[in-house]
Amino acid sequence: MASASSVQGALADGVRAFAHWLQNWWRIAQLGAQLLTLALSPPSYSAAYRQALLRHIVLGTAPSLLSFTVLTTLLSLVVIRIVLVTSVSYGLTQYALEMVVRVLVLELIPLTAALFAALRCTIPRAADVAALRSRGQWREGSAPMLLEVLPRVSAGIVCALLLAAISCGVTLLLAYLAVYGFTTAGFEAYTRTVGHVFSPGVALVFGLKIAAMAVAVALLPLASVLITSARPGELTSAELKGLVRMFFVILLIEGASLVGNYA
Amino acid sequence: MTDHEDPAPPPVRHLELKAALLLVLLVALIGGAALYLMYARGVFEQTQRVVLLVDDSEGVRVGMDMTFSGFPIGRVRSVELSPEGNARILIDVPKKDAHWLRTSSMFTLVRGLVGGATLRAYSGVLTDPLLPDGAERKVLVGDTAAELPIVVAAARELIGNLSKLTSSESSLAGSLDNVKTLTEKMNGPQGAMGALLGNEADAKKIADALERVNTLLARVDRMAAKADAQVLGPDGLVAGSRTTVAQLNAVLADTRGTLKKVDAILVEVQAVAGNAREATTDLGALRGEVDATVRKVESLVDEVNRKWPFARETELKLK
Repeated sequence: MASASSVQGALADGVRAFAHWLQNWWRIAQLGAQLLTLALSPPSYSAAYRQALLRHIVLGTAPSLLSFTVLTTLLSLVVIRIVLVTSVSYGLTQYALEMVVRVLVLELIPLTAALFAALRCTIPRAADVAALRSRGQWREGSAPMLLEVLPRVSAGIVCALLLAAISCGVTLLLAYLAVYGFTTAGFEAYTRTVGHVFSPGVALVFGLKIAAMAVAVALLPLASVLITSARPGELTSAELKGLVRMFFVILLIEGASLVGNYA
Repeated sequence: MTDHEDPAPPPVRHLELKAALLLVLLVALIGGAALYLMYARGVFEQTQRVVLLVDDSEGVRVGMDMTFSGFPIGRVRSVELSPEGNARILIDVPKKDAHWLRTSSMFTLVRGLVGGATLRAYSGVLTDPLLPDGAERKVLVGDTAAELPIVVAAARELIGNLSKLTSSESSLAGSLDNVKTLTEKMNGPQGAMGALLGNEADAKKIADALERVNTLLARVDRMAAKADAQVLGPDGLVAGSRTTVAQLNAVLADTRGTLKKVDAILVEVQAVAGNAREATTDLGALRGEVDATVRKVESLVDEVNRKWPFARETELKLK
């Protein structure tokens, strides 16, 4: 009887945890819908909102540009070199460029850009909001959502998109230089290879993946803080939960994109 | 961090300009990437359509290139089934590259072991008319993977034959055994002769025969020495022949002198013959004169007869 009641209790705990998990996701979805509604409402675009939005975009994106460009250049050079040397040693040089574009531009660089945007922009912004709430300076209602949350989320999306775009451009340029050198003679062949890789389906999946990752890294850390009560201990736990949620969603997006591209 | 008042955020200089630059950069990058991808996919190219017909379109995928001399000149737009059940590969060829395709061009689909299938175009005669838009052509198919089973079957047959050849009951093994026996006999006391003849008695006969041949050869050698002395010795056949040849030369010299004399005689005879020919010519003239004189005498006698009335006998006789 005791073991049966303990199993029953564990089952009840599991059900409660699952329900709580579902409830949190539902609240995050609600928050996202609320932010989307605010973003799409013309009356929201007040001068204060515009100022806050521009400020968060500049403060969130500009400091990361140079460091991320250097980082992605180094990473790309290493991977391109590895792929080229390996393909030459196996006599598969005709597939080297396509492999570089697929591995780096399609898979690695968007993921790196999203994680970098999360680390340098959206997670610190979520910590700011958590600090405001823990100090009791946070008022419930649509005003903070408009002036504090929406600009931060929008700035996070812009940051992730811009970093992804820059890194993809840098990687494509480096791949061309690594294969053909400083000449324009290989531009036609290179363009044709890029065109091969980016078929309409692949391009659509690629665009959706970058957009989804940008939304995930911009929304989830903030939403995890906002759906938690303002007690200090719980807020710290909410930041960690936000990270876990973000990585979980990024993993799902990456898996879905792999299925879309290669399944 | 959470225990002190949140300080007022520091003002950002040229906030709107910086934000605008970032947004313009983002839009330019996304727009540029989209335009570049559209250009790479050939959206802005003017193309003409080539339809390739093939029994099996396995390995052909949308977007793959068709090459000419290793250069991509066309791109597969779609693959569809024809009403006859064949695969129709629709290829877009840019107008700027379409001049490589002629009415006599050949198209091949090659499926290799590594990598995908490749479509290739070959134009042997570049002066032929251009391939018209929408032209349909058959494709020659070369499939390495399809030839593999044939190669494997041939290899299996070859290995089977080799196994039969090298088995202990095969003809080759029997032949090798015989060779082994032969070499053993050759290494024996009778050597190769014993191996060839098979028994000792025959080998002994051969040895005796060889001995007698040696004796015969010695006798022939002595006979040859004697013959040499008779032919080439001081009183031999060769010396006599030499004397005879000298005498023959003298006879020939005498004969040559005699012939010269005969030549002189012949010259004289020729001169006599010339004189006789001239005399014969003079004799002809003399005869003519005699004939003329006789006719004159005859005419004179006739005249006398007419004038001499008593004459009865009219016949004139020459005496």
